[in-house]
Amino acid sequence: MDYVPHDNKEIAEMLAAIGVDSLSNLYQDIPKDLILDQLNLPNGISEPDLLKDLTKLSEKNKQYSTAFIGAGSYFHYIPSLVDFVISRSQFFTAYTPYQAEASQGFLQAIFEYQSAIARLTELDVTNASMYDGASALAEAAIMAAFLTRKKKILLIKGIHPEYVETVKTYCWGRNFEVEEINLDQLEEKVNSEIGGVCFQSPNFFGEIENANEIVTKVKNLNKKTLVIQCMTDPTCLGVLVSPGKTGVDIFVAEGQSFGLPPSFGGPGLGIFATHDKYTRKMPGRLIGLTKEINGDKEGFVLTLQAREQHIRREKATSNICSNQSLCMLSALVYLVSMGKTGLKQIAMQNIQKSYYLKTKLAEISGYQILSNKPTYNEFVVKCSNYQKLKELCKANNILPPLDLTRYYPEMKNCALICVTEQNSKKDIELFLQLAKEAAQAE
Amino acid sequence: MTNNIELIFEKGFSEFPCNFVPSMDIPETQIDQILPKEFIREKINIPDTPEFVIVRHFMNLSEKNHSLDRSIYPLGSCTMKYNPRINEVLCRLPGFTQIHPLQDENEGSLELIHELGMQLCEICGMDAFTLIPSAGAQGELAGILIMKKYFENQGIKKDKIIVPDSAHGTNPASSAMAGFSIIELKSDENGEIPLDQLEFAMQEGDVAGLMLTNPNTLGIFDRNITKITEIVHKYGGLCYYDGANLNPIMGMTRPGDMGFDIIHVNLHKTFSTPHGGGGPGAGPVGVKKHLISHLPCPQIIKEEEQFVCIDEHENSIGRIRSFWGNFGVLVRAYSYIKALGADGLKRAANMSVLNANYIRSQLQPEYDIPYNSQGRFNMHEFVVDAHLPNDVTAEDVAKSLLDRNLYAPTIYFPLIIHQAMMIEPTETESKRELDRFIQAMKDIYQQAREDPSIIKTAPHKTPVGRLDNTLAARKPILRE
Amino acid sequence: MEFPTDLKYAETHEWVKVEGDIAIVGITDHAQDQLGEIVFAELPEVGDTFEKGEEMCSVESSKAVGEALAPVSGEIVEINEALEDEPEKINADPYGEGFLVKIKMSDPSELDSLLDAEGYKATLG
Repeated sequence: MDYVPHDNKEIAEMLAAIGVDSLSNLYQDIPKDLILDQLNLPNGISEPDLLKDLTKLSEKNKQYSTAFIGAGSYFHYIPSLVDFVISRSQFFTAYTPYQAEASQGFLQAIFEYQSAIARLTELDVTNASMYDGASALAEAAIMAAFLTRKKKILLIKGIHPEYVETVKTYCWGRNFEVEEINLDQLEEKVNSEIGGVCFQSPNFFGEIENANEIVTKVKNLNKKTLVIQCMTDPTCLGVLVSPGKTGVDIFVAEGQSFGLPPSFGGPGLGIFATHDKYTRKMPGRLIGLTKEINGDKEGFVLTLQAREQHIRREKATSNICSNQSLCMLSALVYLVSMGKTGLKQIAMQNIQKSYYLKTKLAEISGYQILSNKPTYNEFVVKCSNYQKLKELCKANNILPPLDLTRYYPEMKNCALICVTEQNSKKDIELFLQLAKEAAQAE
Repeated sequence: MTNNIELIFEKGFSEFPCNFVPSMDIPETQIDQILPKEFIREKINIPDTPEFVIVRHFMNLSEKNHSLDRSIYPLGSCTMKYNPRINEVLCRLPGFTQIHPLQDENEGSLELIHELGMQLCEICGMDAFTLIPSAGAQGELAGILIMKKYFENQGIKKDKIIVPDSAHGTNPASSAMAGFSIIELKSDENGEIPLDQLEFAMQEGDVAGLMLTNPNTLGIFDRNITKITEIVHKYGGLCYYDGANLNPIMGMTRPGDMGFDIIHVNLHKTFSTPHGGGGPGAGPVGVKKHLISHLPCPQIIKEEEQFVCIDEHENSIGRIRSFWGNFGVLVRAYSYIKALGADGLKRAANMSVLNANYIRSQLQPEYDIPYNSQGRFNMHEFVVDAHLPNDVTAEDVAKSLLDRNLYAPTIYFPLIIHQAMMIEPTETESKRELDRFIQAMKDIYQQAREDPSIIKTAPHKTPVGRLDNTLAARKPILRE
Repeated sequence: MEFPTDLKYAETHEWVKVEGDIAIVGITDHAQDQLGEIVFAELPEVGDTFEKGEEMCSVESSKAVGEALAPVSGEIVEINEALEDEPEKINADPYGEGFLVKIKMSDPSELDSLLDAEGYKATLG
């Protein structure tokens, strides 16, 4: 099935109009010795066969009935209207709104997203989204280095390990230096040569950091150093104080929690917000409001494009030329569907349910909560027998919490547990029951 | 907001129940016992909006948006081909969407990623692919970083990359992100790379390689392609293939066979995944054997029917984003390649070339087509220099197409043509639709001659008239 | 297009007006015309120092961006703050209200290497 809507008669007519006898004539510029005989792939198949094949393949993945894992990808409830809206072909079969007058729908949606994130983060300006949280953090680090004209970035421990690796790759490309430090090393490490300090809160281990204290400390050490906060599950903004209030310069987050399924890690979206004064050095697309040239109506256009690669070329902050528009649309529909009431309730459920499990788990012998800092929906527990707990979870159709040795080989028997609004009391009680069994099994 | 715009935030209430929160079935603890007071947010300024109000709002917005499903979307170098509906069904299978990136039982996903990588290797003539890059631009960055790593590992200092003047602005921007500066090569009168100048630039000694699109942005296949890659290799450089224009050559010829070492492809162009208003896409990167170890992590390899993931590798450029890339996009592209197969891919390529040359042949009396030497044909796209009578510009023509319920081609690119309109119909447009586009272009030409004022003030039938970009950039209003 | 004869010019399209040891700097009529409607000028800070030929400001239109290089070495003593609200002054009056910065020259002999109006005009071909 090739989705080509011509029959042979039409093809002949078109060839005649062009003035050639055969299709191969059109390819005369390709040197003969480069012409391929035949691709070594099977021939095409019909739609029902395709459905059968792919369904079978998808079933080789195991879908669990409930999950206690997060670590950068989360199972949150997605309102039904989200997929309905993004499935409108006016949205998903459009491209970048280059012709603004015929793209007001998507342009307004992006403007509304920029506004929604500004409202949620209480920061001034948001771009139209980036690839994901990790690359958004890397772009933020590069932007900080550009703004300050300094070539060194500090990463405070507790940032998602895959985000750390991504920042390192991007900075290596630009020949910038990256150093990972502990939170208590700020005084020793921040000086006038530091372009940016990045931290994650809630951090990879679920702990909520005192963002305001970090900002104050860094600014006292060097006023010009930019402070960048990232997070992997921004549903926490329903209960936690916003980055606009804590004084961070740039805020980035993975937006998958806003209306997108985990989908094996992508697509999601990178949320990127900052203050007005940094707008001109910000990477990514921006939509602005303007007026008709010959009329009074208002409308939206892609704007401040002189920042971007197609105009500024090698001097652009970034090479990004697209955004995750459709995912951004999911996030927008999610945010307005939840509203302030829903956002607060969801955040409360995450924190309450997670706190409940954490407290109960601490009462079971064989489990030790490793941090006394407040947490949102994730926390680390040291188990007497993680392997057994994992086995029991799987046997009961529960996707077990993350084994932290995946990223930190020294953290044996440590699990990163995530509890969201999707975990019912029954799920949580069952998990506690299994935890007890696992501890007794040794 | 104003008389003609109403934002979603104006349609909600200060308090209204939310229907999307599961019941709270565990005993609650006082929040100030869980969190210090200074961590707790006071208010959230997002109105509560009833579901039907939201649905109607977005339905109305969608009506103000032109899309591929409505008419031809002839954006050059963007390959706006039909997005098969079955792919939308398949990528939503719960066995794909409800899978966590860090769970153990992920064999279906890994198999799909591995298989798609193998298919792309065959189509492009490469030895290995990574599917992690989220878009063409990120693929480009990964590809250039691979070059950087390759030379760094050998202790060779190379800090320049050659790009032709017809290249996309992303090429220099990506190169800068990897610490390279650019040598721009002027295309010759046929729109091809001048071999002597290429050789001259390579002789400088500090050139890492060449970035090239072939067919290039003029839609022309460079007849000297083998010689070009030979010259670059002779001086120790690497050849990078920007796969933006892969569509017309699928099954006909392969970048790997032309001598390219690195390639990125755009799944949202060549392999039919929806453009989604600007994303998500995917920009897989393929390499020849000598560069495999530099691919970004995680790398997936198949060993004795088992998939093995390499999370860290000293030769790798490292990670460029989280997890495995835009997996949902990969499902659609995999399904497309399976549906078309070897025969279908080749036919799709052929028909894209047929469609482009058909339009070109019909527009030629009215429109100037530069770099169009005698007897040569274009591949999947071509560029007209739209200098019409009465100073009508490419932008005017573009806006007039909108009034005819058609989308406009890419305009003012490539930069080497003053009033460039880059036209790429793709294979999935019927002759009927091509004829409608051709007729519209002819009508516009006629109108430009007879009554240009209508064209110069177009569009007239869109929800808003021509918008003021200067005002938008002078006084940026980026949120309500 | 105007090129006042009392100014000095750089081939990179900046003009200089000398007042004692101060050089007033802007972009030429030709440069503003090439850029089109100017939407933003990114200026340095007072106190910044530049070597001759270093990138000093960038001037953006909605479709292009141009860099203004320091035509002489020295320290920025004044920037044209009015451009923040009205960058279009560069289009309207490139040699007057649309100036970019004032530089306290560290080496006035560098002026000798700049072009006069005729010389600059000749470079435009």
